[in-house]
Amino acid sequence: MTDKYIQFEIVTPERVVFKEEISQITLPTKMGEITVLPNHIPLVSALLPGVVHAKKTNGEDEIISISGGFLEVLKDKVVILADTAERAEELDVSRLEAARQRAEELKEKARRGEKVNFAEVNAAIERELARIKAVKRWRKLKNIE
Amino acid sequence: MASSRDIKNRIKSIGNTKKITRAMEMVSAAKMRKAIEAVLKTRSYANLSWSTVLNLAKAGNGQNGQALHPLLIKRKPAEKVALILITSNRGLCGGFNSAIVKKAVESIKRHQASSHEFILIGKKGAAAHKNFGFEVAADFPKLDYINEVKEVVPAARLVINDYLAGRYDKVMVAYTDYVNAAKQIPRVKQLLPIEIDETEKYLGIVGQDTRLGAGQEFVAEKEKQHLTHGEFIYEYTFEPSPAEVLDEMLPRLIEIQLYQALLESNASEHSARMTAMHQATEAAGDMVGELTLSFNKARQASITLEIAEISAGANALAE
Repeated sequence: MTDKYIQFEIVTPERVVFKEEISQITLPTKMGEITVLPNHIPLVSALLPGVVHAKKTNGEDEIISISGGFLEVLKDKVVILADTAERAEELDVSRLEAARQRAEELKEKARRGEKVNFAEVNAAIERELARIKAVKRWRKLKNIE
Repeated sequence: MASSRDIKNRIKSIGNTKKITRAMEMVSAAKMRKAIEAVLKTRSYANLSWSTVLNLAKAGNGQNGQALHPLLIKRKPAEKVALILITSNRGLCGGFNSAIVKKAVESIKRHQASSHEFILIGKKGAAAHKNFGFEVAADFPKLDYINEVKEVVPAARLVINDYLAGRYDKVMVAYTDYVNAAKQIPRVKQLLPIEIDETEKYLGIVGQDTRLGAGQEFVAEKEKQHLTHGEFIYEYTFEPSPAEVLDEMLPRLIEIQLYQALLESNASEHSARMTAMHQATEAAGDMVGELTLSFNKARQASITLEIAEISAGANALAE
């Protein structure tokens, strides 16, 4: 097989987040975390909020947080249709923590029976958690404190 | 003839109007650019999700010939029809709103349906009810800046739920397609049920001018490129199962379709307003020119009159 690389593309309705050639990718699917290597069989799956970890062809890592979406794997191509997605480099931890705090407070309110959409709040918390996780992993990889 | 003071006042007021219309033209031009950018950004998502759904539907149909998801099943005949009408919040945009309302009413009348209902997005859609007496099922507010799919989710959920519950047999969306700055076409497209054989009907996937590959061809091309290896044709694996993936994916697709329609309408609205304001500015300029002419005439007439009076007076004294 000559194809050693995967054309990887991650898009949200608002923009194309990342598009590059990679050599492997790890994703959080509904059936558990999977790693896709070149020449994978065609696969379609739903994704959970979490961290996508791709290895670029030059050996560098790319960490992307997603808040759910779909995955389509073709022989030499991986496409993620994400609801929202951010590259770890673009994220700012302190603001993420604040956002999560707000979401938790909202959840608390919801528990007390105030008028808040519980499912939406939960989704927001998961999204923020995924983002925080992505940033942490990114920092660990890059040895940034 | 109007006095020179009256004319002067009018020139001033028209001058002010001209300033306003010119400012509005500029604002619309800026907003239009942004709106067009947004339309283009959504396109790649729309294309990709559409091709995946097509693949899913194909794979699913192979097994038992049954459509995999209720949103894919066509109901005949369509008894109850709903139409989502996307209009602007404000006027002063030429024939933008009247054109789309007219188109929507026309197309809904063509359906031999026992009931038709409108779902409005944007304030000006109220005309459908006021002027044509149609039933309005829901009225969603429209934000001036649309940059997230979240904003169409309530409307999408509503039609999907009502469709599944059997309240509607067919759901359409009326929006204004942005072709270029000078041309916008009001269109009505089917949203539900999703017909995989009629890709052309779907938004943002259509192969019109600058658009990316047209639906079916896009998919066929993709299949050729990525799914075959020599004689061997790969088949998709679905996790957890085709039905479950479709369950999540189809509502998403509807949302994207609606979002795209909204963005197209937005771009069209701003460019329609820009054109209208440009014409208004020109008309105001012409008017100021004409009024200045008559102002000068009036001024000259009064000077002539004055001179005539003075010389008549001087003549009288001399005699």
